[in-house]
Amino acid sequence: MATLTLQGIKKRYGPVETLKGIDLDLEDGEFLVLLGSSGCGKSTLLNIIAGLIEPSDGDVLIDGQSIVRVHPKNRNIAMVFQSYALYPNMTVARNLGFGLEMRGVAKADRQRAIEKVAAVLQIDHLLDRKPAALSGGQRQRVAIGRAMVRDPKVFLFDEPLSNLDAKLRVEMRTELKKLHQRLGTTIVYVTHDQIEAMTLASRIAIMRDGVVQQFAAPQEIYERPANLYVAEFIGSPGMNFIHGELRRQDGRIGILSKTGAAGASFLPLAAANLAAADAAIEARIDRPVILGIRPETVTLANSSTAAAPHLASFEAQVEVLEPTGADTLGTLRLGADQVTARLRPGDLQQAGGTARFAADMSRASLFDPETGLRIS
Amino acid sequence: MSLRSWLLLAPLLALMTFIIGWPLAKTVAVSFTDAKLLGGDVHWLGLANFQRVLAAPAFYEVVWTTIRFVLISVGAEFLLGLLAALLLDQKFHGRGIVRALMILPWALPTVVNATMWRLIYNPDFGAFNALFTQVGLIDAYRSWLGEPGSALYAICLADVWKNFPLVALIALAALQSVPRELRAAAVIDGAGPWSRFRAVILPYLIGPLTVAVVLRIIEAFKVFDIIWVMTRGGPANSTKTISILVYQQAFSFQQAGLGGSIALIMVLISALLIAGYVTILRKQGELK
Ligand SMILES: Nc1ncnc2c1ncn2[C@@H]1O[C@H](COP(=O)(O)OP(=O)(O)OP(=O)(O)O)[C@@H](O)[C@H]1O
Ligand SMILES: [Mg+2]
Repeated sequence: MATLTLQGIKKRYGPVETLKGIDLDLEDGEFLVLLGSSGCGKSTLLNIIAGLIEPSDGDVLIDGQSIVRVHPKNRNIAMVFQSYALYPNMTVARNLGFGLEMRGVAKADRQRAIEKVAAVLQIDHLLDRKPAALSGGQRQRVAIGRAMVRDPKVFLFDEPLSNLDAKLRVEMRTELKKLHQRLGTTIVYVTHDQIEAMTLASRIAIMRDGVVQQFAAPQEIYERPANLYVAEFIGSPGMNFIHGELRRQDGRIGILSKTGAAGASFLPLAAANLAAADAAIEARIDRPVILGIRPETVTLANSSTAAAPHLASFEAQVEVLEPTGADTLGTLRLGADQVTARLRPGDLQQAGGTARFAADMSRASLFDPETGLRIS
Repeated sequence: MSLRSWLLLAPLLALMTFIIGWPLAKTVAVSFTDAKLLGGDVHWLGLANFQRVLAAPAFYEVVWTTIRFVLISVGAEFLLGLLAALLLDQKFHGRGIVRALMILPWALPTVVNATMWRLIYNPDFGAFNALFTQVGLIDAYRSWLGEPGSALYAICLADVWKNFPLVALIALAALQSVPRELRAAAVIDGAGPWSRFRAVILPYLIGPLTVAVVLRIIEAFKVFDIIWVMTRGGPANSTKTISILVYQQAFSFQQAGLGGSIALIMVLISALLIAGYVTILRKQGELK
């Protein structure tokens, strides 16, 4: 049970600044996922929390107490590594109990703690084996057990599932979530898998080049990405970006797409968007903007969509249809941009023609093409 | 194995049989005779040569000298190599250069090394004497290689200087195969330096180090060149090892038959050592 606070964490390696001032504030029992592409500094940040790397600047606090000067073993944190990092020459039981052993916990107490954790993780039948005789998933459990056994204030995970095969990864993901719900311990979890991040996190911090791009709940990040980078990073297939200009037409404010082979389309903004940032939007009229729409917010237009005020309809060329079973991905040409729509199977019979579509503008994002930042 | 694999192996097998088998067979044959190096009549003696060797107290002295050489040299090489590896595993400025420098002694030909150390030990102008008198450890220059009490140790030192880098190199490679995350895990688990060494590093060291030490033992057991260059087995036979004895019997005293039988005894002991080595390798293979 602990809060975790990072204040202005910086890390320099020679002239290179790997972390450029990270501020994060976690409440007790939060599941923070650090998400970002390779080399953005996730592991470095995690190792700084663990005390394995010293920050060049900034402070780490657990329950309001600074721990940057505290030795890793006294920080009351436990870490699960990507490679599991089990002691190869020790049995599973000894692996689990090693941290307690080093802290001078009596053998009987150790034994009890080991058995308890082994029961929770269903590895009791493996206690006498060496790590080499375990499968990847079993090793993973032992590694998690080793972290759990000490009942730490904060768990740190560095890409713990990346060495598992796809099926096991999904299983362990669910188990981790259950485990967190059950233990309620504060967790910092590093991954570059956005599905893991979305499913596990109470909040996600998206990092890029040592800077946190957005720190928010998964759904918030998905619906209201703070900038183009986040918008692009989260979601599969990714968000569609329509380049155009903000215009006032017939009394409505909307995006006029660039002119492509099929002409240009005008997509009026929804009332929700306008209300949120009136002044900012007014100031941008007749200037270039980027409209971001998620594939699932684009549907085939019909009589009912025409009436809904938050749906902007447009005509588009259907270039490709890709059925995935549950739904069919349609690649459309809107103005000069390509748009992926998540359609219902059977909506369209074949690619090649044009059709009318409706985009849910209440779920759209508007970005400044120069700064990449969200306008509304 | 299939017939085809045997057929494919056949040319190499034939070559190896010829290169290794022929001299070996000749040695075996000669060791049962009174053959002289320069020819003459050869008589079948049966086991007489072996009986003569094994009955002579001098032979056991030579064996004991050999064992002492092996124990002292390899023991020191092991300790020094391990320490050097642990040191070179730390981060410090100029580590790369030190690592490269450390390999140098090992790269020297044994004869060059032996000659160099003979100069170092020189009773009149040797650096060793200079150093020891200057720091006050001895009063007057001594003949380190000329005194039966010190000659073997002096040779051991020269041998250690040349061969510890091999152990260090192997140990260093092993140290570097210890995963970084494993070391980190031990730190977080609260293990101190000694526990970390025992729990994390030693398991990675023990296999390669055993191989290195056993290899060194096999090699040290056959030692010839460094001793031949430095003392020729003297003074007063104090540095005479089995190889030197074989050489002296066969070539200096021209007793090819007797020399052959001693050589054969040595081959047998070597074979035992090698069998041990192979067993260790196999065990390590199973562990993996
Ligand atoms: N000891 C070091 N010296 C110099 N640069 C380093 C050092 N450790 C890490 N870096 C650099 O810091 C940056 C961030 O590394 P880090 O390991 O935190 O990335 P990451 O986000 O965990 O990436 P990945 O997803 O690949 O694990 C990288 O560009 C890396 O090259
Ligand atoms: Mg990493």
